[in-house]
Amino acid sequence: MPDWQQIVSSKLSGLALEPEEVTQVLEEVAGHLEEEYQSLLSKDVPEKEAARRALRRVDDWQALKQMIESARKKENPMPKRVAQFWLPAFLTLLLSMVLLAVIQMFGPNPWTRVVASRWWMPVAVVYVSWLLFLPLIGALGAYMSRRAGGSARAVFFSIVFPTLPYLTFFLIGLPIALILDDRVAHNITIPAFFVGLSAWVIFPATALLAGGWPVHFFASRRLISSRSAGG
Amino acid sequence: MIGTGVKKGTAELAILSVLENGPLHGYEMARRIEEQTKGALCFSLAALYPMLYRMEQRRWIRGSWETSSNGRRRRCYRLTPAGKKKLSPLRDEWSELFAALRRLAKVSNA
Repeated sequence: MPDWQQIVSSKLSGLALEPEEVTQVLEEVAGHLEEEYQSLLSKDVPEKEAARRALRRVDDWQALKQMIESARKKENPMPKRVAQFWLPAFLTLLLSMVLLAVIQMFGPNPWTRVVASRWWMPVAVVYVSWLLFLPLIGALGAYMSRRAGGSARAVFFSIVFPTLPYLTFFLIGLPIALILDDRVAHNITIPAFFVGLSAWVIFPATALLAGGWPVHFFASRRLISSRSAGG
Repeated sequence: MIGTGVKKGTAELAILSVLENGPLHGYEMARRIEEQTKGALCFSLAALYPMLYRMEQRRWIRGSWETSSNGRRRRCYRLTPAGKKKLSPLRDEWSELFAALRRLAKVSNA
């Protein structure tokens, strides 16, 4: 008698369900084919022919696999985009802002330096201790986004999301304020603008990506290798 | 022979109807449906199990493993109260459709 469990296991290998569910599905489908086979034998159909006919009950194993996966997939109460982008993005933003507030309240003091030259002297204020923690926050954002199946773009923006409010301020808010608000010092020079942009956007984004992008890279590799192992 | 599209729609009704008489496992369910419809509705594995799993997710049916007298483990499905509730309007819907089609056929023949 054919080993139906073995046959079904090989035909439906790589079924993307929980291990316990996979065992149940394989046992159920194998049981169905075995019943079919036994029924044909009881009608005096020769063994080989009975096995062949029983197997013919499934025309396309790949289609069966996909249909079972889609039917058993639990409805995710959270929309994909929320899980892949908004949730990790706002978590990285919240954590990085809380951390910055704590550092500003309790120290250590930021590294400040007058970037002086012959014509200009803006002050660079860099929270080094904050930058040192940002890779961990970036890694967390990347992990959450990747685990929810986020694309490279979703992962990237989840990681750098905490710098986007600053970027918006430097690119949109500041120019508008310079035009509309008299209280904003109008002698802000272009080099000062770039020093601020570096301290609040470029350095933090680099620190976040330094932690987040390797996580994305390794998580993607693991996903590819587990898919190829599953067939 | 009934076309695939209609079959798809009637599959839920067929499964709920055969389960109304008592719990059945997948193979027996498919056999009874085929027998009772004189082969007009014939479930392939690819149609039956995904349909059963989907109906289970909707809580119309509930599956549980049972061991038969010959020691074979089989997953038996039974109707849930939600499934029983679903069956009646589903039947009415399909009767209405068939009655309408019958009327239409008579008019065309006349």
